[in-house]
Amino acid sequence: MLVTLPYELPELVTRAPLDIHTSKVLPEWVDWNGHMNVAYYVLAFDQASGAFMRNMGLGRNYVNSKSGMTFVLETHVTYDRELREGAPMRFTTQLLNRDAKRVHLFHEMYHAEQGYLASTNETIVMNIDYATRRSGPWPVQAAERLEAIWATHKDLPRPAKSGRMMGLKKAA
Amino acid sequence: MIELDTGTPLDRHRTTVQKEWIDWNGHMNVGYYVVAFDKATDVLCEQFGCSWEYTRQKIGMTFVLEAHVTYDREVKEGDPLRFTTQILDHDAKRLHYIHAMYHGSEGYLAATNELMLMNIDYESRRSAPWPEWAMPRIEKLAALHAQLPRPKQAGRLIGIKRK
Repeated sequence: MLVTLPYELPELVTRAPLDIHTSKVLPEWVDWNGHMNVAYYVLAFDQASGAFMRNMGLGRNYVNSKSGMTFVLETHVTYDRELREGAPMRFTTQLLNRDAKRVHLFHEMYHAEQGYLASTNETIVMNIDYATRRSGPWPVQAAERLEAIWATHKDLPRPAKSGRMMGLKKAA
Repeated sequence: MIELDTGTPLDRHRTTVQKEWIDWNGHMNVGYYVVAFDKATDVLCEQFGCSWEYTRQKIGMTFVLEAHVTYDREVKEGDPLRFTTQILDHDAKRLHYIHAMYHGSEGYLAATNELMLMNIDYESRRSAPWPEWAMPRIEKLAALHAQLPRPKQAGRLIGIKRK
């Protein structure tokens, strides 16, 4: 198991929920319906997951230094409201659970000016060993940061849109 | 409108992993799996006349309400992809279905995508019943697909399971 990461780590943010990621709807993310296409919500959320991983110390340096990677195993998106080209977005991220090699995250995407909830994304991210491309435990330094994050997130209320199972009966 | 494809599951859509779909991990990025799946949704909607022309002619649109993806195995640049689609449920204005993405030549399952799709009136951008030409086709397909076993990836809850 990797103990020390071979690069400088960013300052740890333990605010709960995490609120460090912002973005903007790019022209190439808009489809023939004139709004952000469903797939690009997932891309935008993946960048929010990237911000969470960076806060753990597992940003692009983690891959570039051939230390490891993180893979998404599963993801669930609710599309709550449309976003148009150029719309500013802000994201919040709540850590719902974690273990030795996985994190269970819940992101919310808001229109940064109008304030409405545009979408939510519940996701599981797993640590991957660079050489084998198989799962492996978090590096020790990252695991320590994860525990510090968990300490401030664990008592947040469970988001209403987490743990959803899809079906016609439950939907509006 | 095209002739109805009565094969079960629907097995029509094919694509190839594009260069720009690859991320710094050297595989197709999670967002582009959904780009690829969304095209399989277009091919499904084409079966009941609610695809490209439906929106181009300003009649209606279809919006995704909810999506669940399982990432089962990596795919790389240039890999051929094959998609199958199974309708799980439907009502007057919604469609619940699941796609499976396979490596086109090696045959392995790469991902699944369960979706809830809603019909939208073009003018008001609000939900509306499926058009009259679409409903009989949706019902026909749904009845055929109902004979398939329910995929184990459908109806999943996300969580870290304790071993």
